[in-house]
Amino acid sequence: MTGAKEAHTEPKRDITLRVHRFNPQVDGKPYFDDYTIQVEKGITVLRALNYIKEHVDASVSFRAFCQAGICGSCGMRINGISKLACTTQVWDELDRCKEPGVIRIEPLRNMPLIKDLIVDMDPLVDKMKHYSNWVVSSMPESRMGKKEFLVSEEEFQKYDKATDCILCASCVSECTILRAHKEYVSPAILLKSYRMNVDSRDSIHDARLGELVKDHGVWDCTHCYRCQETCVKHIPIMDAIHGIREDALEVRGVKDSSGAKHAEAFMSDIEKKGKLVEATLPIRTNGMAWTLQNLLPMAMKMIMKRRTPPPPPLVKPAKGIKKFREMFREMTEHVRAEKKSHKK
Amino acid sequence: MKPFDIVIVGGGGAGLYAAMEAMKTNPALNIAVLSKVYPNRSHTSAAQGGANAALANKAKDDTVELHIFDTIKGSDYLADQDAVDILCSEAPKIIRELDNIGTPWSRLEDNTIAQRPFGGAGRPRCCYCADKTGHTILQTLYEQCLKKGVFFFNEYFALQLSLHDSRMKGLIAMNMKTGKIEAFPARTVLFATGGYAKMYWNRSSNAAGNTGDGQAIAYRAGIPLKDMEFVQFHPTGLRKSGLLVTEGARGEGGYLINALGERFMSRYAPEKMELGPRDLVSRSIETEILQGRGFDSPAGKYVHLDLTHLGADLIKSRLPQIREMSMYFEGVDPIDEPIPVRPTAHYSMGGIDTDNYGRTVMDGVYAAGECACVSVHGANRLGGNSLLDILVFGRIAGHTAAEEAGKFEPSPITADEIAATEARLRSYMQPSGHFERYGILREELGQTLGQNVGIYREASKIRKGVADLRELQERFTHVRVNDTSDVFNTNLMQVLELKNMLDLAETVAAGALAREESRGSHTRTDFPQRDDEKWHKHTIATIEGDRVKLGEKPVTMGRYELQERTY
Repeated sequence: MTGAKEAHTEPKRDITLRVHRFNPQVDGKPYFDDYTIQVEKGITVLRALNYIKEHVDASVSFRAFCQAGICGSCGMRINGISKLACTTQVWDELDRCKEPGVIRIEPLRNMPLIKDLIVDMDPLVDKMKHYSNWVVSSMPESRMGKKEFLVSEEEFQKYDKATDCILCASCVSECTILRAHKEYVSPAILLKSYRMNVDSRDSIHDARLGELVKDHGVWDCTHCYRCQETCVKHIPIMDAIHGIREDALEVRGVKDSSGAKHAEAFMSDIEKKGKLVEATLPIRTNGMAWTLQNLLPMAMKMIMKRRTPPPPPLVKPAKGIKKFREMFREMTEHVRAEKKSHKK
Repeated sequence: MKPFDIVIVGGGGAGLYAAMEAMKTNPALNIAVLSKVYPNRSHTSAAQGGANAALANKAKDDTVELHIFDTIKGSDYLADQDAVDILCSEAPKIIRELDNIGTPWSRLEDNTIAQRPFGGAGRPRCCYCADKTGHTILQTLYEQCLKKGVFFFNEYFALQLSLHDSRMKGLIAMNMKTGKIEAFPARTVLFATGGYAKMYWNRSSNAAGNTGDGQAIAYRAGIPLKDMEFVQFHPTGLRKSGLLVTEGARGEGGYLINALGERFMSRYAPEKMELGPRDLVSRSIETEILQGRGFDSPAGKYVHLDLTHLGADLIKSRLPQIREMSMYFEGVDPIDEPIPVRPTAHYSMGGIDTDNYGRTVMDGVYAAGECACVSVHGANRLGGNSLLDILVFGRIAGHTAAEEAGKFEPSPITADEIAATEARLRSYMQPSGHFERYGILREELGQTLGQNVGIYREASKIRKGVADLRELQERFTHVRVNDTSDVFNTNLMQVLELKNMLDLAETVAAGALAREESRGSHTRTDFPQRDDEKWHKHTIATIEGDRVKLGEKPVTMGRYELQERTY
């Protein structure tokens, strides 16, 4: 039984945590401190950090609270990847070290740094507010508490996974769009927005959606899937993002925003030629005036470097386009039929 | 600074419900919520199982009256019956209200809110959302508070009440981001800072911050604490970390097995088996271990919680978090192997003494949730009643504070008072004599409490505990804060938390020594019987100098007479 196995002591070894340090009162810029400690197998990164704080250097600063993977406080980058320190085993990280035995511990990205491993969460809260990440009940306050809503298992399934989100901000830290644009809505907020929008008890679906399709909203995502890959709760965040987009196309139409137009242009190119007509894509997405104003300098550079995409007449349909069109039609019909049956 | 009408300390379920209700009661009020963490991090999020309410969705014959009786019996008749009445009568309303504002409750086949069986309850009345009930309730409340525009002061650490001749003027707190000491002049202050069971440190399921800050602040300001000796040990903490495996795991049909392979609960609660009340199941496990029928390991002795017969589908759909935690922290997949568990300090029944409306004895000071003791849990809380407590009494206290805020005239908190507080905190960075490490003191605190004021208690052990606590208090004066920076000084915060735990631990030990009987979670091996004649009463702890002074308060009875408690 396990009892006999447990009587052996766990293996131990020396490891080094290379910890990002920054105290805004004295440090001009961040640096790293190395802490070498002996740990036994089964110890989490958070327990190793706690040990360092209690026994080696009390000034190392990080957030931690529940230590059980549910409060989301201890999000940090461990060997370059954003995750929770409390659910990450030191032993597992040893295989991922660039320098053998040295685990890099850094703060989450894409949020303002406060100290050492602590970043400012306020921008995320502000975005929760901006995108109305709450249910506005269809029931007036005066009638509340008397009757429950009836919710089908099917509807519950739509938001069940999304409500697993603990706002640890790992996805925010990994998001490639946020690195370029701090104003971008961010994956966690899209997930929460989706969760609200599929809830039949909510009454501001259209207004919330209207905000999501604006600049820096749902159409800015480039489907890199980093958020989903790193989600500590394994939530299919991209399903939520696609869900909002499909919803937007259906409710607001294909001409609604540049994002929708972009998707539409994509679809039509694929249907006609089996590949993209890149030269006119920006015009069809954002219009002629915008393209001339914003992309002309880049177009010039591309010409200089001979990197321009071929003009539309030269984009020949891909090989086997006939067969492809058949498949394309079949898929589109299938998706439409599925949507109809969902609505019932 | 303009005085606040209400300053709520703590952003968990109780604090957020109080804020929401206060704004509903009077939208013109100026309300602040202070929290040492972002509110969505609060420990409410860790409550897995659910909240009890006699909705009668699952068992059609369930009634509020049955819920009341189960709660009173569960409390070992120490709960105040009028308070329990409020708790259980309000329960269906509050669960529906949460549904109405978006809490994602799991559903039954008829699309109503799902309910499941829970320890000590005669009917399946625990409403849940998978095994993330507290998390989803907390998210919902936080969202609704953001919607309502509640004014949050996140990552502020509460330090003390500002008093003028025992009249409350407001609160003094440290802004963690800047290290600045700030005054919050206020007409009313509402404490909702959660429990104090983290004083058992490594033998506790609680978050690192459940250090009883509100209770300690109130206690030092002269406000009485009630029934502090009652600390609930949850039967199934993970062996290595003390982290919790929800009672839902047994509710879904999990077995407790000893090293001989026996379902040993048949010896202690032949009828309810694994679903006996928590105090009973914890004692049963402890007895099995003490009598040599536990498993052995370097991390301590333990028993098995076996879910393997439930099947992969049920475990994955109903207990996903438990599965994840067992794998992360024990390296065990409950689908294939039993989970190693042992009892872990989990919940504090005691707390700030309040009436049924959340009022303390001090004008303008209120308390709710685990931080308070109304008392609805008496000597032992039933599973599924803690979320309910924070919701029901959070709302009531918020309402009371909103109604009464106008009665109290605010007065300013002086710069001198702020400067004195600053100086006191700075002094932690230059203590005299030898230096002590706070981490070591914290561990010793947990150890002495676990050994001497744990599940099984007796006079000589508790006296040893009391002496240890005195010594730890003395050594604490030599603790040095090594981080001298202002910005996010978690070193300083943890030292202040340790002081809160030390002060409260003395009230726990004093109550445990005085109460010469066994009742609910408090088991004296030298007084194994419940003694209603001498001890059917609450203990009241107040501060006198730097010592605990014990008093008492009668239990409010009602429809239910004292009975022997068997399951």
